[in-house]
Amino acid sequence: MPNPSFMNGVPELLVLRTLEAKEMYGYELVQAIRARTNQAITLGEGVVYPALHALEAEGMLKSRRKLVNGRTRVYYALTKKGEKHLAGLVRHWQHITDAIGLAIGGTAHAAIAL
Amino acid sequence: MLQSRFDRLSERLLTAGIVPRHVRRYCRELGDHFDDLVREEKAGGATPELAETRALARLGSDDALADAMLSRPELRSFMARYPWAVFGLGPIALLALSVMGGLYLEFWLLNHSGGIFRLWTGQGPGPVNAKLATEVYTVYNTLIVYGGPLLFAWALYWLGSRQRIPMAWTITGVAIVCVLGGFQDIIFYDTGCRGCGHLIVHSDLVPPFQHFAQHLTRAALNLAIAGGVWWFKVKRRTSHALALSRAA
Repeated sequence: MPNPSFMNGVPELLVLRTLEAKEMYGYELVQAIRARTNQAITLGEGVVYPALHALEAEGMLKSRRKLVNGRTRVYYALTKKGEKHLAGLVRHWQHITDAIGLAIGGTAHAAIAL
Repeated sequence: MLQSRFDRLSERLLTAGIVPRHVRRYCRELGDHFDDLVREEKAGGATPELAETRALARLGSDDALADAMLSRPELRSFMARYPWAVFGLGPIALLALSVMGGLYLEFWLLNHSGGIFRLWTGQGPGPVNAKLATEVYTVYNTLIVYGGPLLFAWALYWLGSRQRIPMAWTITGVAIVCVLGGFQDIIFYDTGCRGCGHLIVHSDLVPPFQHFAQHLTRAALNLAIAGGVWWFKVKRRTSHALALSRAA
């Protein structure tokens, strides 16, 4: 998806949705997003971290350092505030995908695939 | 090569006002991510050189990595957003707080120190204990008046250089703290009877300018010490950078 304005809010949605299931560190998260979107959405892998830092600064995520195989990783997990925000984002994107589904003549059940 | 790339990225982000804590963590996370990508590419059959090239490409270009951080205004530090508050109003607030805090502690000590002085001198309230109290509090006040401004000047310099704040702001903050601090005074005399001491707090920047020359000298001394330390640090950093570039 090359249109940046259309992609506004997408990284946050993908990050929050992916972290909903379990806490992850950056590399693990990027791979999980690629797998969940069938590689349809490929973020520059390094640019996921500013999104994580910003979401943490807003209280949507919390982080903790964890020693794994001799290396310290920063693990991110969803907070209660993040869960509420994610629910709002999902509703918003479902509206958009429904509307686009109608506009292009398909059904209004074009579910958001995350 | 990767380290120098992250060093450049780090400098760019700090200069743009991103909080140092986020910059350090970002570079560390990118380094770890790069290692993971190289491992993944090698596991897929790539040679070490090809694995590194592909990992760098997947990580993102320098501009993309910097822009991703710079497009987040919430990651900019308070100091970068409001340097006038930190380096203009900050020194005044710091000096005022140090004097207020010093006085508060002094009042508390005065109310509780009778027993200590009695233990020390073996005498009750009177001229002997009053003399000792005056000496002790003179040392304490001297530390606040002489040490405080220099300590704050060092703190402002450290904060400014850590966030790559333009040198003009740091110099302004240090100059304000050195000059205002040079003109402030806290004087205490214990006259020996309960509630009869004298505690004088004043700045000679307001009339009647009784010891103006003396305070001006102290302000100049503060500026000279702060400037000297700054010059020494810059000189040391320059020679260190020269040695590094020669080694490279």
